[in-house]
Amino acid sequence: MSGTGQPVLEARGVVMRFGGLTALSGFDLTLHSGELVGLIGPNGAGKTTAFNALTGVYAPTEGDVEVAGRRVNGMRPHQICELGVARTFQNVRLFKELSAFDNVRIACHAGSRSGFTSAWMLTPTHDAEERRIAARAEEFLSVMELSPRRDELARNLPYGEQRRLEIARALATGPKVLCLDEPAAGMNASEKVALLELIRRVRDQFQLAILVIEHDMRLVMGVSERMLVLDHGVTIAQGAPEAVRQDPKVIEAYLGDGKLRLRPPREAGTGVP
Amino acid sequence: MERARLVLRSVAPFLVALPVLWFVQGSLASYTSFVAINIAVNVILAVSLNVVNGFTGQFSIGHAAFMAVGAYTAALVTTGLESLAIPGVPAAVSGQAVFLVALAVGMLAASVAGLVVGIPTLRLRGDYLAIVTLGFGEIIRVIIENTRVLGQATGISGLPACTNVVWAGMGVVLTVVMARRLLQSTQGRALLAIREDEVAAEAMGVDTVGWKVRAFVISAAFAGLAGALLVHKIQLVTPRMFTFVKSMEVVVMVVLGGMGSITGSIVAAAVLTIALETLQAADQYRMVIFSMLLIVLMLTRPSGLFGTREIWDVLPRWRRRRAPGEAP
Amino acid sequence: MTEFLQHVVNGVSLGTIYALIALGYTMVYGVLKLINFAHGDVYMVAAFSGFYIATGLGVRDDPTVGKAVAVFLGSMVVAGALGWAIERFAYRPLRNRPRLATLITAIGVSFLLEYGFQLPSLQAQGRSLEEVLRGWGWTVPGWFDALVTALPSTFPPGPTPRFFPEPFTRVDWTVLGGVHISNYDVVSFLVAFAFMLGLQWIVYRTRFGMAMRAVSFDPRVAGLMGIPVNRVISTTFVLGSVLAAVAALLVAGSRPRIDPIMGLMPGLKAFVAAVFGGIGNVPGAMLGGLVLGLAEEMVAGYTVSSFRDGIAFAILILVLLVRPEGLLGRVTVEKV
Repeated sequence: MSGTGQPVLEARGVVMRFGGLTALSGFDLTLHSGELVGLIGPNGAGKTTAFNALTGVYAPTEGDVEVAGRRVNGMRPHQICELGVARTFQNVRLFKELSAFDNVRIACHAGSRSGFTSAWMLTPTHDAEERRIAARAEEFLSVMELSPRRDELARNLPYGEQRRLEIARALATGPKVLCLDEPAAGMNASEKVALLELIRRVRDQFQLAILVIEHDMRLVMGVSERMLVLDHGVTIAQGAPEAVRQDPKVIEAYLGDGKLRLRPPREAGTGVP
Repeated sequence: MERARLVLRSVAPFLVALPVLWFVQGSLASYTSFVAINIAVNVILAVSLNVVNGFTGQFSIGHAAFMAVGAYTAALVTTGLESLAIPGVPAAVSGQAVFLVALAVGMLAASVAGLVVGIPTLRLRGDYLAIVTLGFGEIIRVIIENTRVLGQATGISGLPACTNVVWAGMGVVLTVVMARRLLQSTQGRALLAIREDEVAAEAMGVDTVGWKVRAFVISAAFAGLAGALLVHKIQLVTPRMFTFVKSMEVVVMVVLGGMGSITGSIVAAAVLTIALETLQAADQYRMVIFSMLLIVLMLTRPSGLFGTREIWDVLPRWRRRRAPGEAP
Repeated sequence: MTEFLQHVVNGVSLGTIYALIALGYTMVYGVLKLINFAHGDVYMVAAFSGFYIATGLGVRDDPTVGKAVAVFLGSMVVAGALGWAIERFAYRPLRNRPRLATLITAIGVSFLLEYGFQLPSLQAQGRSLEEVLRGWGWTVPGWFDALVTALPSTFPPGPTPRFFPEPFTRVDWTVLGGVHISNYDVVSFLVAFAFMLGLQWIVYRTRFGMAMRAVSFDPRVAGLMGIPVNRVISTTFVLGSVLAAVAALLVAGSRPRIDPIMGLMPGLKAFVAAVFGGIGNVPGAMLGGLVLGLAEEMVAGYTVSSFRDGIAFAILILVLLVRPEGLLGRVTVEKV
């Protein structure tokens, strides 16, 4: 269901440099509403850096990022979030000491213009807003199958549920684009399949464009329409999963040059065949 | 009808507090009411600092400076308008009206100071923020000591004795209601999100800088209120009242009570004020005992008496009687 | 021109003080990431222990090189021991707690030293204690008497300032047609510079320095790699405190007035100097101290002298806004 018309997220020639290190170079990405794109690549390929550049955590050194046709370079993350790009984090960053419900409610607040005064006066509009937020939060918790965990502190949730709570929280910001950074990390095979199924359902229900970073290439191929492969900050392949899988460059980057290695080539030094 | 109910709910704490305070005011001996006002001032300071340090997780140790701004501004208003008599109104009433204006202006001035300090500094984190707030505190003190209108080092004396138990008590109610309603609102949750994880909060659409500045401004405004109330009790304002030591006293109250716990701040402020007042007799030992207490408490209960919880979460017997999540 | 040069000399002399204290600050911060608020008070305690030793040896009437050495060594030992004790008993138990708890404890220790030193002397306290106890039919316990006799008769000194006897004779030179400079200024500067080089050598050229840097980077991992984390941190505190003692005595030579709160302002300003130079960076602390001293002196000299205390913080705020990593510090990117 690859969309046409104006892309919701577009990156053109994005470069990220930290001092002398180029973590990402010439990164191009066009994402349409309803698309599910997999961003894959070996460790340290620059996947998370790409996310950070897209969501405003870092300002790109070069290149442009546009959200729904608006240039967002140099905008703060919360502004980009308000324009409709939400994300999760590789190393789960929940509001640990708050309940699951509060975690989602905070995200529901995104874009709200109301200040402190209405809260102090307990105005009717404030009441209405609180009720609206609570209802929305309940909805997202239930979408991610977390309703029974509503009042549990985030830090007390099991790992898999923390990951799902992060997605619920990201959805609550009302995004057009959802960037998921290894949502299935640390899960076993069947949990992973269930999660990706859930992600696909969410995409259909909310008409989202989803960008997923995933380590497990086979897994992501099953659900995504399109894949993008990064290696050492460079996009080495892009396209339909089948084509990408057969791309010799991808095979080399991902699996090595076809020979069995016991350690990754970079750290291995010499000696190991 | 519905509208009336909402308005009533909004102002109910004040309607209840006013007659109670009036009654208490009449029945207190003068020394007791002096201590009570001291407690009230410290409760306002502690709860307001808790908005920044406890809710938002930003560590400010320059609260006394905002207190000073509020105190001096209010003092200028009351001394400047003292001779002002509104025709047809008894002097006592017009005096109270002037005081109300003075308090409001004091809060406003303190919040402006909070804004000026907050905008540049709140980009910093942790220890750096702490040291910069301390620095600003010192700068404000140096400025006061060099300003002739403010009486330089000797300050301003002969202020009208406007503050009584009713004023101070209403100040406390206002502060506590503000903090409580804030904590239970979506705006307050934005502050908590900043405390928990600034990067994640920002990514979830929380304008972290904006909310931090707002929290800082509010906190400063109430510190200004506390300062204004205090100096109109002791009828004197000098720069020495607002040193680093005073800021630390407030920090200690917040930390002792538990960062983020409103009732914790109230209890700690009351206990500490009474303790310091009792130790007044052994003046030389006062601060020594205070600092030893501080060290021992930090070593034994580093997250304060109540942590981030409120008193009814800590005392189990109370909890059983209350429905969970019910607002006081 | 002469006036300007005089301000430069005074500024460098003041800056040297800040630099010496800042070196200790920056080391402790570098390793523990803790603002050791009590550092300025270690400086104060060092000055007083120097004072007591000097008084005991009769330095005022008959200053000799041997006595000066004894004063220096004695107060360095006291300061080092105090630094060790503060870390061991006040900071270490809180090491895995939120940093805020440690910061508050640090402030508590600082207050305790400042106000503890303002108490009346133990002898006087003993007398009033005896009176109180006699009323109840008790006597003063023997260990208290023993303590009183073991310590100097004027300990604690109380709030009135004392005057430090010169550890070595002060010589004033007039150079460049009217600029005054004393041997204390020259010695202080040279000592500070030597310490800076020494510290830099320790941090980057010795095994201990390597351990320090490892602990600074990640204490947990450093511990797993077999580095004795506690010992490294203790040693760093002792080293920093000894530096504070040296600073205190050099300062006491040219500014002999000492009192229990003498450490507060220099301590805060030294911290500013350390941040200014790039906290954790040894040459940065030196540079920051000198710049701060010069700035203060210039402001005091050419504008209103009572603005002196504000300028340090104004500089701090400016630095943190424009270049938060300090003059010589390195930028750190937060990992997300």
